[in-house]
Amino acid sequence: MGLDAAMPSSFLDVVAAEFYAYTRFYKNNRAMMIAAFIWPYLMVLILLGLGYLFGSLSQYAARMGVRNPVFFIVSASTVAMSSTFIIDEVANYTLYNRWNGTLPYILLTPMRLPKQLLAASIPSTLVSPAISVTSALPVAIYFEGLRGAIIIAALYTVIVLGMVPLAGLSVLIAGLVLTVREETNIANSITPFLLLVSGVFYPVTILPKALQLIAVAVPVKYVVDIARAIASTGTFSHEVFLAVYVLTLMAFAYNSLVAPLLGAIEERVKRYAPF
Amino acid sequence: MHRAIEARGLVKRYVTWERRGLFRRRRRSVEALRGVSFSTRWGEVFGLLGPNGAGKTTTVKILSTLLLPDEGGARVAGYDVVSEAVMVRDSIGVVLSVERGFFWKLTGRENLRYFGMLRGLRGGELEERVSRVLRLVGLEELGAADKLYEEYSLGMKARLALARALLHDPRVLILDEPTLGLDPVSARRIRELVVRLAHEEQRAVLITTHNMFEAEMICDRVAIIDEGVIKAIGSPEELKAKIAHSVPIVIRFRGDRGPGEAEKALRAGLEVLGLSVKPVEDGYVARILVRSGEDEEVLARAIAVLAKLGFSIRSVEVSKPSLEDVFVALTTREKSGA
Repeated sequence: MGLDAAMPSSFLDVVAAEFYAYTRFYKNNRAMMIAAFIWPYLMVLILLGLGYLFGSLSQYAARMGVRNPVFFIVSASTVAMSSTFIIDEVANYTLYNRWNGTLPYILLTPMRLPKQLLAASIPSTLVSPAISVTSALPVAIYFEGLRGAIIIAALYTVIVLGMVPLAGLSVLIAGLVLTVREETNIANSITPFLLLVSGVFYPVTILPKALQLIAVAVPVKYVVDIARAIASTGTFSHEVFLAVYVLTLMAFAYNSLVAPLLGAIEERVKRYAPF
Repeated sequence: MHRAIEARGLVKRYVTWERRGLFRRRRRSVEALRGVSFSTRWGEVFGLLGPNGAGKTTTVKILSTLLLPDEGGARVAGYDVVSEAVMVRDSIGVVLSVERGFFWKLTGRENLRYFGMLRGLRGGELEERVSRVLRLVGLEELGAADKLYEEYSLGMKARLALARALLHDPRVLILDEPTLGLDPVSARRIRELVVRLAHEEQRAVLITTHNMFEAEMICDRVAIIDEGVIKAIGSPEELKAKIAHSVPIVIRFRGDRGPGEAEKALRAGLEVLGLSVKPVEDGYVARILVRSGEDEEVLARAIAVLAKLGFSIRSVEVSKPSLEDVFVALTTREKSGA
């Protein structure tokens, strides 16, 4: 059966509605807002604690090849977490709304499902990394001054760029988690795997050969490469521009590959109506 | 002019997996709808009545475009639910559950703004519509419009659900048990509003319920559905006329045994047109539908059956047929193989 083509609600309507709900949620939950700003520092404390078990900060800096290890950890973990965030967000958006009972009403928006899921995830995929990089701003300014702030702004751009290749995949996963069993296990296992091969906490070169090959195809690796390049040299080297180029190619390639499957996933969701 | 809702031979099968041992599972296909057909008119409250699991919600989900039928088709407001789903969504307001379906950390007004924006409403028009529906369902007068949803009572949640359904001024309302679990005052308010929306504003309302009293009170026509099949369609009066030759006996009783045991024993011991036993606040109530002239004999035997099981009879009433008796008669015939 063919699905319809008319679109009374626009992509921007959904984006605007989600932005509204997102900002209201934080306005009504100040504790949540504070927690969002604090988490990168908690992450740093844990990593530094572990790091001191195995050696000093300078040893860590030498091993990772970065100039400022604290700045690197804050920025790289923020970048890595944020770049995989789109997958978590789109999948968890559907799961959360199903649990909350809001999913059917959201899906009743006069719009095709894949487009809607993508539009709905945009505000949080932009705002959450913004909160993360903003929370890293004091560390950046403390260690690097104004240049640190510029680097943080550049990192935010890279994070957003790093999410684009994963956009189609994230919608596909969102559709799958709605229609298969063990949905939360699927959603929860993808991000840790991407982080594993991203090289965020240790170089990709120490991974087994097979994982190194997989890492080449994972966009997050390039986002982390950019973060590392900026943190180690403090400049935007040719390495950064090469990674940006690869990410752009990946965005076209991956989304083109996934696009034909989105109609099928929409039909599958409507066939089983898992809500 | 086209019908408000037209369902033609809707069939829906669900696949379930039965666990058989640690790793083995068996695939089972369950037919939720088996050729459901009906149509509703503009300005009419149409009730889809049936017990839990009868196929009401599946029908509602197909008509709302949330679920694809396996066979058959349906049109809502003149649009096909499969090929013109987006247009159908633009024409309908839906209430699927009154207990959930909103963001807990947003106020009622903020929730409505969000759902309005999803439908392309913005600026002054959005504010005007949100305020209008909040007034219409009485949340403004309760002072609840700007309270967080997590602070809402069930009655307030039901009102907000109806407000959302009305937000984009739809011509068709599809309401799945909108008064389930509500206190009498809130339920009455919802019912009055539903009738007004249909009769005064010429909207089409499809309401599902297993509350026969409610259906009799507000529905212009009803369809009784059980096990995925429409058993009868008509106005409550027309349906009651079908069992005019019958007499309903209502026995209230209590005891230590459960209602299942009472129903089983009554079914085994009596020849009746219809039978149901339900728990009530202070015991159980059995509705027994018998042919005219057989009521005294059946009543005496029913009392004897219940007494034998140790139940004490609290009251007995021989009444006029109600919609509930129609429902009991239609569903009992199938189950007893009559």
